[in-house]
Amino acid sequence: MSIVANTFSDVLSSEAIYQSMIRFAVILAFAAVGEWVAERAGTLNISLESFMIGGAYSAAVAYGVWHSIPAALAVGALIGIVVAAVQAWLSHWLTIDQFVVGLTLNILVLGLALFLDTRWAAKTPVPKPTQIPLLHRIPLVGEALFGQPWPMLLIIPLIPLAWWLLFRTRWGLEIRSVGDNPQAADVSGIHVNKRRRQAILFAGACAGLGGGVLVLGQVGINGYEAGHIGLKGIIAIAAVIFGGWTLRGTVIGCLVFGYFFAFQQAKLVDINPQLNASLPYIVALAVTAIFARRTRQPRALAQPFIRGLT
Amino acid sequence: MPDRLDRPSGEGLAPSPGTNNTAVATVELRGVTKRYGSVTACQDVDLTIWPGQIHGILGENGAGKSTLMKMLIGLVRPDHGSILLHGSPRRIHDPQTAADLGIGMVHQHFSLVDTLTVWENVLLGDHHRFDRAAARRQVAETGERYGLQVDPDRVVGDLSAGLRQRVELIKCLRRDPSILILDEPTSVLTPAESEDLFTTLRTVVVGEGRAVALVSHKLAEILHATDEVTIMRQGRVVEHRATAGATAADLAAQMVGRIVSLRDTAAALGATGYTTSRGHRLTEPATDEVLRVEGVTVVRHGVAVLDDLSLTVRAGEIVGVAGVEGNGQRELGDVLSSLVHLDRGRVTVDGVVAHPGRAGDMAKLGVAVIPEDRHDSGCVLTMSVAENLLLDRIGSVCRAGFVRRAELRRRANELIAEFEIYGAGPDAPFSSLSGGNQQKVVLARELSHSPKVLVAAQPTRGLDVGAIEYMSARLRAAAASGIAVLLISTELEEIIDLSDRIVVMSRGTVIGELDRAEATPERLGLLLGGVADETSKLAGGR
Amino acid sequence: MNAPARRSSAGIPSRSSARRAAVVVGLYVGCVVAALAVAAALVAMTGGPWRKVLSALLDGSLRNPGRWGTTLLEATPLLIVALGVIVATRAGLVNIGQEGQLAVGAAAATWVAINFSGPIALIGVFIAGFLGGALWAGLAAVLRYWRKVPEVISTLLLVFIAAQFTGWLLSRSFLLMHYEKGVMNQVQTSKQLDPATRVGMIRVAGNSFPWTAVAAVAAAVAVGVLLQRTRWGFRLTMLGHNPRTAQRIGVPIVLAGASALMLSGGLAGAAGAAMLAAGAGGYTFTPGFSNNVGWEGLLVALVARNRPLACIPVAFVFAMLRTGSGFLSSTGVSRSIAEVVRALLVLAMLVPPALLALRERRQGRGIAAVVTIAEPLAVPVQVAQ
Repeated sequence: MSIVANTFSDVLSSEAIYQSMIRFAVILAFAAVGEWVAERAGTLNISLESFMIGGAYSAAVAYGVWHSIPAALAVGALIGIVVAAVQAWLSHWLTIDQFVVGLTLNILVLGLALFLDTRWAAKTPVPKPTQIPLLHRIPLVGEALFGQPWPMLLIIPLIPLAWWLLFRTRWGLEIRSVGDNPQAADVSGIHVNKRRRQAILFAGACAGLGGGVLVLGQVGINGYEAGHIGLKGIIAIAAVIFGGWTLRGTVIGCLVFGYFFAFQQAKLVDINPQLNASLPYIVALAVTAIFARRTRQPRALAQPFIRGLT
Repeated sequence: MPDRLDRPSGEGLAPSPGTNNTAVATVELRGVTKRYGSVTACQDVDLTIWPGQIHGILGENGAGKSTLMKMLIGLVRPDHGSILLHGSPRRIHDPQTAADLGIGMVHQHFSLVDTLTVWENVLLGDHHRFDRAAARRQVAETGERYGLQVDPDRVVGDLSAGLRQRVELIKCLRRDPSILILDEPTSVLTPAESEDLFTTLRTVVVGEGRAVALVSHKLAEILHATDEVTIMRQGRVVEHRATAGATAADLAAQMVGRIVSLRDTAAALGATGYTTSRGHRLTEPATDEVLRVEGVTVVRHGVAVLDDLSLTVRAGEIVGVAGVEGNGQRELGDVLSSLVHLDRGRVTVDGVVAHPGRAGDMAKLGVAVIPEDRHDSGCVLTMSVAENLLLDRIGSVCRAGFVRRAELRRRANELIAEFEIYGAGPDAPFSSLSGGNQQKVVLARELSHSPKVLVAAQPTRGLDVGAIEYMSARLRAAAASGIAVLLISTELEEIIDLSDRIVVMSRGTVIGELDRAEATPERLGLLLGGVADETSKLAGGR
Repeated sequence: MNAPARRSSAGIPSRSSARRAAVVVGLYVGCVVAALAVAAALVAMTGGPWRKVLSALLDGSLRNPGRWGTTLLEATPLLIVALGVIVATRAGLVNIGQEGQLAVGAAAATWVAINFSGPIALIGVFIAGFLGGALWAGLAAVLRYWRKVPEVISTLLLVFIAAQFTGWLLSRSFLLMHYEKGVMNQVQTSKQLDPATRVGMIRVAGNSFPWTAVAAVAAAVAVGVLLQRTRWGFRLTMLGHNPRTAQRIGVPIVLAGASALMLSGGLAGAAGAAMLAAGAGGYTFTPGFSNNVGWEGLLVALVARNRPLACIPVAFVFAMLRTGSGFLSSTGVSRSIAEVVRALLVLAMLVPPALLALRERRQGRGIAAVVTIAEPLAVPVQVAQ
């Protein structure tokens, strides 16, 4: 019993765990916030992964060329948009099944990133933590929250921006209507598929930016490796489901999953290594099992829209 | 112009008194034509709608009225012809353009988003600044002005059909349209609510010089509420006259293209006052109860969509379930189709308890269903006609698990002949059949294995007069042969015409029961209306 | 928009339909050529010799001695996996977890193989492979029908859990790990298959391929027939196109759907068993055994538009990419180009029908069509009333 208690307290009191957790959670959040908007519009993008990979690789290459973090981040976001555009136009203009397109894009972009890496190698900087004075001295969570490299801080304005976009603008109202009742939106004069495409582009920008932040702003990563994204895309989707398609829930979901990734990496508790490695994915499965029944799912989620096919 | 009857000279073409004699028509359609492949939806349509009038567009289902309206609001583009608004020709690309040009449409089903509030729905599709306070204010003001009060902060999904239509109207009116189009607006309303609607329309038209186009297949409505009427048949305009002085018989003849006995077709034509005097049955229905629904409750998302519902149907009788749409009829159909679990209560067929959540259980017990939406649970669109005819009996044309195509075709042809299904043959895709013939396929399949109970949910919705007559005759024949028939319909005339006994359904439960002898449209209307008024008061109207 | 009215009748001259067919074929060919051209451009962009790349691919897959036999060997599991994909999509389900189902199936097959030997054991190997894959897919089925988890997500997550799970199995000597006294098992693998438990090879013209290749082709034909002409196939199609109608008629949605999903996983598992018994990994089960066969089998089904017979040539082409890319190192070009080519080929096959459907809609012919994972052909729906 005391072993469990000790382990528990170890786990909760490790500063390294919190640092790690925030790192994972923030990257997840970049993707998840974007996908939240896209899912509120009724689209389900399993190619979220590829948006991140595209962003990560291009940001690293851009950094190698210009040695400027802001420029590299911008490139990452831009390439994220480009990849998202492929998903958006193939699925919501040509109406090819969005799962098929998503799957294919994941393979395509990963292959491209690996292939092009042989010619234009990705370079990453050694990230410097930006320590906010005083606050970063708070025990346990200080370094985690206030001692991260500055690109990580970009998530802070992104979350309220997404909220404002969806609930305080006309665009957001149309996005929500398109996700819940595209037929009604259509007869009201809203261009359903155009809005859906725009939502996907937003997700692409956020995820691409997240990929860039991953390679440019994470302490302890020795250079770029394409495999680093490692299914964060699908986990981000699980976070949105966990959050019941609300923004607050999505962010909490990212923290939860971030914790499990950190836990897995720290290997604090002596459990079977394979179980350890699969832990976040098992948790994701369990989470979707518990929360997928929620009724707040956008009613037209993952249903393609064609006028005339009521 | 071919095929058009002589227009009464001058009558019906002048603007109504009170408007300027040189007024320009609000909307004018000239020679408008639309074809879908080999099917002509509209042929050479001329139509003029003047301001200050309610203009009725009358025609049976399939006559082309809906397509015409779709062209006016930009969902469909005409192949030939022109549309003039206030005298100038316009191209209407999409609903947004239509709205900008002053054309507003009150939709039946597809225009409000249930998860959003009233004010959000009203703002939907607009161009202007997104301003919550202004929107709420507009909802209140417009509501006051036209007698369409509704609470702007309520979520639309919680509102009754009548209140939702108010939101639709407000959504249109606030854009200051020159013409308001309503497509079959009263199918979701009680008679009392319909009256309110017509009063509102009159206000809109008279005081403010707008025009209203009222599309309907119901004679009573057209006679009652419109100033002028244009009658369409098979895609063409066949008459255009003032409503005053028209009789139901005249209009019916034009609508259907032949002299009709109103007595026989009143239900199909939506004519009231003709259906009460039917002859007595020749044989009394047997007194054995076949279908018994006891205290059935179904809860969805926390709301009891069926609430302690009980009814019985005896062999050989037709029980009509009347009620405004959205009061649980769909769920009742689902229960009897083995699609929904019961939370409470039970259903027995011929004494055997059924398990409606178990696949095919009701069918196994002999309950045949013509569902409300055949595309939803009545057929498989991508399969052929033959496959749809034998959907539930595919095993009977199989040997050792393999389908014998020749046998399948043979059986299908038998059914096609017996039920007079017109189409391109048993191997044609089901989707190539017309609505009426698709319904016949469903009927043929369901009746082909001598069921004990036949549930017909909105069986004649969207069908033309000929198909309606056919379906009604079949339902009567089914009852005469001893089947217990449960007819669920929102069309009062149809209920009165066909039923031996009528139950009225509201909010998931039965609130009244009448024998046919006692049932008049007025009485039924009161029953429906009385409850509905109460609920609309409670639902947040001011 | 003046679209002339069409009056279609049965005796219409075949000129217009021949022209249409030519347009369709041209579209497909054009897209495939474009895909290959893009790949070639990528190679050229990175300074590689694209002609040499093409040559190396052809050498590795067909031209060099013994290579087409190897390609057939590689094509076999791809084909079997693709058949499983078709079954699932017919039932309206999205199963993208073949990579994991294959691994678990292969693991189960390994267990039988290392504990028993002989031809009877070989049958047991295939059965175990099928069961392993089926059970792994069964997890996703449970989640889908009990907790409404979309199977696209659960099957995907299960792929990664499967990798860890099989790795664990390989780390325990009482399970799969090969243990020899005094010898350290550096890379954890299983014991090698007894020669008696291996699939026999057919030798033709200097090439050898396992008889499972022939069995796979037979299976493709069988699946096609079963889906088209049997009651089972009929009910599955009903389920996929309209589950509510199916429920009303008496096809139990849960049972039929779950069994379709499990059959799909079972086929992937059987493919894993076939790989093992025909020599993959040197007849041993290793970490990373699946080696992307699951993913590529899925792509094969997509490129073949969910038609079982079309999967046969497509599987062969994809196998060519696999065996051919092994020869790329001499050209100095990264093997990842093969990944890119695969993905581009999938897109090349999906774009033409979508373009055609778009054109039909634009011309307002009254037919609307949706290209989805579950339906290779356009779904005609009347737009006018």
